[in-house]
Amino acid sequence: MSKSGAISLTNGAALAAGGRSATEGRAPRPAGVWRSWRKLAFDPGAQDDFFLPDLCAPRMVLAVVLVSELLAIAFALAQPGGAAFLTDLARISLFVQWLGLSGAAVLCYSRRWLAGLSVPLAGSLAFMLLLGNTALLSEAAFLLGRNLSERGFNNTLFPTDHWAFLLRNQGICAIVSAMLLRYLFVAHQWRLHVREEARSRIHALQARIRPHFLFNSMNTIASLTRSDPSRAEEAVEDLADLFRATLKDSERPLRMKEELELSRIYQRIEELRLAERLKVKWRVNELPMRAIVPSLSVQPLLENAIYHGIEPLDGGGTVTVDGAVEGEDVVITVGNPLATELNGSARPGNRHALENIRQRLRLAYGDRGCVEVRETPERYEVTLRFPYEE
Amino acid sequence: MRQPRLDVLIVDDEPPARERLERLVAELPDWDVAGSCGSGGEALNLVSQLNPAVVLLDIRMPGMGGVEAARHLASLPAPPAVVFTTAYDEYAMEAFDARAVGYLLKPVRKERLEQALRQAGRLSASQLLEVASADEHTAPRQNIAVRVREELRLIPVKDIQFFRADHKYVTVHYAEGEHLIDESLKVLADEFAPEFVRIHRSILVAVAHIEAVEKDAEGKPVLRIRDSRETLPISRRRLGPLKRSLIAA
Repeated sequence: MSKSGAISLTNGAALAAGGRSATEGRAPRPAGVWRSWRKLAFDPGAQDDFFLPDLCAPRMVLAVVLVSELLAIAFALAQPGGAAFLTDLARISLFVQWLGLSGAAVLCYSRRWLAGLSVPLAGSLAFMLLLGNTALLSEAAFLLGRNLSERGFNNTLFPTDHWAFLLRNQGICAIVSAMLLRYLFVAHQWRLHVREEARSRIHALQARIRPHFLFNSMNTIASLTRSDPSRAEEAVEDLADLFRATLKDSERPLRMKEELELSRIYQRIEELRLAERLKVKWRVNELPMRAIVPSLSVQPLLENAIYHGIEPLDGGGTVTVDGAVEGEDVVITVGNPLATELNGSARPGNRHALENIRQRLRLAYGDRGCVEVRETPERYEVTLRFPYEE
Repeated sequence: MRQPRLDVLIVDDEPPARERLERLVAELPDWDVAGSCGSGGEALNLVSQLNPAVVLLDIRMPGMGGVEAARHLASLPAPPAVVFTTAYDEYAMEAFDARAVGYLLKPVRKERLEQALRQAGRLSASQLLEVASADEHTAPRQNIAVRVREELRLIPVKDIQFFRADHKYVTVHYAEGEHLIDESLKVLADEFAPEFVRIHRSILVAVAHIEAVEKDAEGKPVLRIRDSRETLPISRRRLGPLKRSLIAA
């Protein structure tokens, strides 16, 4: 997932540029790359699922420069004496900027490759790459200094203590890289979490109000308004009752009687639309009407049974609702025939509603509440089981 | 001077939805209701009889849905224009928007309906194929439409033994005979995988209808079709994949 986002964007830009280049005869590659950088940096949709950001993006390059400079200032301030602060700062800045930007470039180019690995492995490899980069550059700086002094430049800019210089830099680099990588990881986790939360809220809302049902009912009412105004009026009242129950705090449990009434209201609305194609067989006389049930537990099952079972069936069919008390448990089973290739078109599943009920039963009753699904090629049955309480 | 009134066929499986569209179309000055029906299959028959200018097609219907019906209609010599209707179908709507295919959201407004009818265009087979494949929730077609004189006849995909490409045309072979169709083997292969496999550059076979893979007199691999005397050549490089899919089936 993560890689493909970035890669396809880059390819997209390159393709767009490539299309033109056929006529110009020369690939305007820098422009294409620049465009894809801009896209990655400014298009929030281009954010992908890898914790290392694209460090080649202009915004990130600026951030790298800023962080490096802040580090350089901190190091300069920590120098003993302090008389030569500006000279120190200039010298340290030069070196730290060099390290920072080259480190960013190394990570930028290895990013695609790292994104394919597990997070701990990618993190450790990124850490090693930064250490290696620092080691190479430190060695290069030392060699350059020695070379210059051999030619007679008496230069205080360059380090003279070879191994101490290298080790110091490794230590600093290790601490700073570890902190930065940790920060990037946590920030990325937080972004993922926010996105996930927003998505699950929408799913929860759709599990309660299925847009398909809402708009179909509106259409039915629009039709009945002229052909049968009194039935249209009833349908509006039914829809209002149903939505009132749906939008109410779902934590408040209902009596069995109320929950079954909601399911019947739902059935009435769907009957207007599906006419004789929908039949529901209620065998719930054994159910204790005073029992407490989680709100909207039976109605969504009926809704699922109609949406996935009856609607795709050519000639319609019968939904069965069976209720019983088994020992200390209330058991309710909703079953529907399934469309096969011969008599209709199967409809792809939407498991939000079922998952939602399962979670709510678990919240309310722990291990004593459960949802079971039995599926054969011709039939689909969901059973709710929860303790009988009054 | 007034233009002659144009005919509209309404296809929707829900009676109230159908009634409402009938009434709205009847209220429009330039349009007439030619007829209405509740399924994609009936729609194909009615189109041949009534020859409407535009078909209003519901996307979700039991049996043959709107997109599949439209793909069959597109194979008629003079297909009607098609406008899809739907209450809510985010995948389909996205696919239609991307390919400038006309659709109406239910409950339909009269002005929108008039506008859509006026702008309705014939949809090309490739446009509809793109719509169908853009929507991962659309199942492959369950029938292949063939033209017998001016009428459409549907051959259930499960009855089809194999497709054979021959120069520009593809013939579909089934128990009761064979017909020319105007589709490419590649498209068919993509749509009906893995139930159909390529055994040769020009042959696509239904796995369910394969009786045996054997060698002919010259030692070349051939394939026998159940309830048919036909033997089909298998190209060497497709023999391995074919055997794997037979084992999987």
